[in-house]
Amino acid sequence: MVKNLGLDEGLLMKAVDLALSEGAHYAEARYQKDIMDNVVLRNEKVIGGGTEIKEGVGIRVLVEGSLGFAATNDLTSEGLKAAVTAAIARAKGMSRLRRVPIEFTDERVGKASYEVKTRKSLKDLTMEYRISLGKEVVKEVKGSVKSVTVPVIMYEMGTHLQEKLIITSDGAYIHSIVPRVNLMANVVLASQEKGTLQRMFEFAASGGAELVDEWRVTEKITQEVERLENILLKGVQPPSEEVDVVVGPEVVGLLVHESSGHPMEADRILGREAAQAGESFVKPDMIGNYRIGSELATVVEDPTIPGSNGFYLYDDEGVPARPRYLYKEGLIYEPLHNRHTAKIFGTNSNAAARSMDYRSEPIVRMSNTYFKPGDMTFNELIEDIRLGVYIKSYMEWNIDDQRWNQRYVGLESYMIRDGELAEPVKNPVLEITTKGFYSRVVGVDRNLEFFPGTCGKGEPAQGVPVWFGGPNVRLSKIKLGVIQ
Amino acid sequence: MSIPLDIGKKVVDKLRPKFDDVAVVINQKDYVMVKLWNSEPSVTQSWMDTQVSLLLTKDKKVLMLGLSVRDPEAILGAVENLGPAIQNMEESELYAPLPEPTRLSPLTGTVDKAVIEAMRDPSPLVEEMLEGAAEYKVDRVAGTLVLGKSTRTLVTSKGFEGVEEGTELEAYLRAFKGEFSGHWAFGSRRVEKEMIRDVGAKAGYYATLSSSKAEFTPGKYDVVLSPLVIGNLIDYIGFMASAAAVLMGFSMFMKFKPGDKVGSEKFTLEDIPRDVELPGSVSFDDEGVPTSNKPIIHEGKLVNLLHNSGTAKKMGAESTGNAGWLMPSPWNLKIPTGDLNEEDLARELGNGIIINNNWYTRLQNYVEGIFSTVSRDATLLVKNGEIVGNLGRIRIADRFTTLLNNIENYTKKHYKIKWWEVETPVKAPYVLIRNLNITKPFI
Repeated sequence: MVKNLGLDEGLLMKAVDLALSEGAHYAEARYQKDIMDNVVLRNEKVIGGGTEIKEGVGIRVLVEGSLGFAATNDLTSEGLKAAVTAAIARAKGMSRLRRVPIEFTDERVGKASYEVKTRKSLKDLTMEYRISLGKEVVKEVKGSVKSVTVPVIMYEMGTHLQEKLIITSDGAYIHSIVPRVNLMANVVLASQEKGTLQRMFEFAASGGAELVDEWRVTEKITQEVERLENILLKGVQPPSEEVDVVVGPEVVGLLVHESSGHPMEADRILGREAAQAGESFVKPDMIGNYRIGSELATVVEDPTIPGSNGFYLYDDEGVPARPRYLYKEGLIYEPLHNRHTAKIFGTNSNAAARSMDYRSEPIVRMSNTYFKPGDMTFNELIEDIRLGVYIKSYMEWNIDDQRWNQRYVGLESYMIRDGELAEPVKNPVLEITTKGFYSRVVGVDRNLEFFPGTCGKGEPAQGVPVWFGGPNVRLSKIKLGVIQ
Repeated sequence: MSIPLDIGKKVVDKLRPKFDDVAVVINQKDYVMVKLWNSEPSVTQSWMDTQVSLLLTKDKKVLMLGLSVRDPEAILGAVENLGPAIQNMEESELYAPLPEPTRLSPLTGTVDKAVIEAMRDPSPLVEEMLEGAAEYKVDRVAGTLVLGKSTRTLVTSKGFEGVEEGTELEAYLRAFKGEFSGHWAFGSRRVEKEMIRDVGAKAGYYATLSSSKAEFTPGKYDVVLSPLVIGNLIDYIGFMASAAAVLMGFSMFMKFKPGDKVGSEKFTLEDIPRDVELPGSVSFDDEGVPTSNKPIIHEGKLVNLLHNSGTAKKMGAESTGNAGWLMPSPWNLKIPTGDLNEEDLARELGNGIIINNNWYTRLQNYVEGIFSTVSRDATLLVKNGEIVGNLGRIRIADRFTTLLNNIENYTKKHYKIKWWEVETPVKAPYVLIRNLNITKPFI
């Protein structure tokens, strides 16, 4: 029995039993509580603070080959019963429109309880501390610029404590507690002659108040703003001819999330998200044999990285988590599966089912996705580039709904001349296909870094915390675009 | 008297002695969503939910609380736990006292019993959509049908008490034929069977309109954007029209003031909360201020930013009835119609590109309005008034000011659109825009 749970866990078991007695051949009851709080500053002044507590139960049933989900925050016996009844009745009602019954794989599901331990409690991030850190960031950033103004800095700092208890009809019992900390700053730099430049800074991970010390927020933001001032004032257009381009860990991280993680979600490959987040260029017969890139292109997805933003040890269907190779040495390798997609592919789930909150059905999601680093130093990576561009960070990006045609617009970027970083470059545009990117990888350094994000998918849209990362990656013969 | 109103009054009464301002919003929702995949239901989701939001101020300090509970004692207990948080907060730059209640003009026609009836068994409406697409002999479809009813209750310490009920229907479908696809969407407060069928039919129409591929060279093109595409883009314009977005650095309107030209004389953008045809319709905002229909941009000139009391005080304006306590936002959006013939868009365009649908709009810089968005579904190259083929996925990469300034004309009919990529309900026709920058990958 879990101590201090927000409801009697016997109710979850009863809900599962009730679903089975009403005809379900699989049932799952998930209690989930998410407590989030934040404070927002604009420049050195507080705007407001808030707390959000989402607590309820999501019920999922497989009945007559049809899948039903119902969520309620009425945590009484009657409330859960009503949710089970709705899930069953509406799933049954739709079953006549199904030609092929939905089935789940049998899995060795877990019975476990785990908690991310903090070195310093989330409670140490008091309101005074959050406000004083925000004011420090604003003061230091405004003091760091020389020839531009800083009309706006928006700062937000928050915590997120997530607790889940998942019980399934085939024996899963998973209790977890994961605390997270997040910090965001939106900085606008303005010049009379050169216009404006905008940068969003983001920090997020699982853990406690100790994270904020480790992030060195003020120092990191201030130093980058100093460099961005130089970009705004002195940035030149990128070369118009094809050159070697080195993309930094932040861009590489986003790129693998978008062009490796998403297309390797098995539900997307099958078309379940076709009308929302789209499908995938990956087809089932490509898995294990289609060459998407050079042998240096290996992308890993791993929920078990300690301290990561996408951390979990069991997924929301009770399956134990493990690392997976999405692309391995340039080959399309292993899709992300839940128990439904795994059944269709004739394999086992690799524990990718996640839900944003109690109102959300578990669907196939990423956790922490990264480009596998190599063993070169950064200097070795660029030493023989006569003329090239280094794209360190980005603001604008997007990708098509098959995860093939994508665009990243550099923010902090530099020319590379004779093996060294040179003058700043303004808004270089990398617009490239997925195969175009991975097949032009000719060098990978060893500087693996992770960046946080909130990945959106599903209907209703679910945002789940993730990390994405990578090392510096060198691409050959790239034609960059410019902002019109 | 409704139960939520009782709860709201009880909470406000209990908290009034401890705070300067108290507002409670209680949202009760009963929704069902059928999601389609490969022409079959993939999941049927139901929500039976009560969400409580509280605004509390003390000595100009502002705290907000969101709770998924329905018991007044639990709400008060959660507020007790906040004690130190508000004490340690500082004065808000955007604090303004809650407004005194004024006379409301309630909306009628926000509830359609047919929606509630259809929630019991949504399958006939799902079949309408499927049959609409089947007329075009498509290979498969995917999409969503949402039916729901909600009750929104607001009680404030200034004496405002309001309860509004509404129903909602949202339907969208994507149809596939070979490697091509089409998409359509519809959002309303009512069951409109012919429109639901039309969602499927229009998706099927665009999926089958051209069965050949075409190529293009990146550059400037005249384009016709469907109501879905322009709906997505004006969703961003509406967001940037929020005074809070301006103050926080997330708006192209940072560089403009009311009266400035921001678009073509042909372009007017209105916030229409009092149009009960759209599911965003409300008669009062989250501070109890009566809503009104109003232009944001009128004939190319910026007229109104969207305000709550706090942003209005900060910027020397009046509330526009668009609270959000922190973030004012539009309720429903509308752009004008024109005289283009929808049945012959290719001839109206002459040379250029017709875009059925888009997604993934992102900005390099909100202040400059530099953005790009990616087409999906039918993206049709037009030469000499004829569709010559499908371009696949391309990108509009330009500035919002350029887009608004280059608007030339519209078709004659509004569509009511709401879907995954158009979160604020809109009334929009097809739009003809000259000289937009269109790009694609170099490899």
